[in-house]
Amino acid sequence: MNKGIKINILDLIANMALFIYVFMINWFKRRKQEAKSYRTNEEWVESLSNPPDEDAVDDLRRYLIRGLKPALYKYVDRELDQFVEDVAQDALLKILDKIDTFRGESKFVSWAMKIAVREGLSELRRKKWQDISIGDLAGSDPEEEGSEINSEVFAIDDPGPDDTTHEKMMLKKVMGIIEEELSEKQKKAIMLLMVQGMPVTVVAEQMGVTRNALYKLVHDARLNLKKKMGAQGIDPEKMLKQL
Amino acid sequence: MKLSTDTLKNMIRAIKMTRPDEIGCDDCFDQLSEFAELKLAGKSPEKAMPLVQDHLNRCGDCREEFEALLEALKELKVGI
Ligand SMILES: [Zn+2]
Repeated sequence: MNKGIKINILDLIANMALFIYVFMINWFKRRKQEAKSYRTNEEWVESLSNPPDEDAVDDLRRYLIRGLKPALYKYVDRELDQFVEDVAQDALLKILDKIDTFRGESKFVSWAMKIAVREGLSELRRKKWQDISIGDLAGSDPEEEGSEINSEVFAIDDPGPDDTTHEKMMLKKVMGIIEEELSEKQKKAIMLLMVQGMPVTVVAEQMGVTRNALYKLVHDARLNLKKKMGAQGIDPEKMLKQL
Repeated sequence: MKLSTDTLKNMIRAIKMTRPDEIGCDDCFDQLSEFAELKLAGKSPEKAMPLVQDHLNRCGDCREEFEALLEALKELKVGI
């Protein structure tokens, strides 16, 4: 009896000691984290510039991991922790590499975080679309992408002989403008983005251009179409109502 | 392969909304952390930085990144 109680008391003491130990570790951790958040932009840049201070790199890594979890969890179905750690590591390298481009327009941590978030989401988009190449989508050999595909892509139902409604005529006119005015590259980009619903990041990589260049390419296409439709007296607003 | 009416509608809508002064993904990204901080501080970044807001309305990838960034910064309590 007595022995049993003694063991229980020892157990209890051991448990309490463990509890206090864990509590103190957490307290120190929290204190360290709180202290970190007061680091100024200048201090961050200073400590991460050549050669980067190891503690600062570790601090930043912890920040990135903490922020990435709630940012990405809904896109990752398993092993979120591992994925987030990998992203943080890749992002860290990019951040250190372009730290001299940080102009202090936001907090340093926000700036670093946006690089990490873009890194993570780009990776997820790549993974999601990796097995689908442009060639598959266009239904042809990847080596044979060209005008043939695109002219087929931008075809609409040919109006039958009896079908001469105003609506169909307008549609035909618009299709004609699209066919004539856009470059093959622009058609391909629009097809992948708007018809296939692929992300800009993925289309850009598959087409071998930067994401920014792809956006500009499509922007130019839209601007051109708007101008040409205007010149031919086609009002997009009216067309939308008729469709 | 043919364009569905829905796709055509989306295209015409995109053409209609096109403006010459749109910014690209790079310009948007450059201003995104500042934009996000203002948003979290309850200020109206869409007024101070209308072209960023405009790009976010148009570009799915940038919008997704902006929303994810907000979640991350909320967790890190940036902007409070
Ligand atoms: Zn964008």
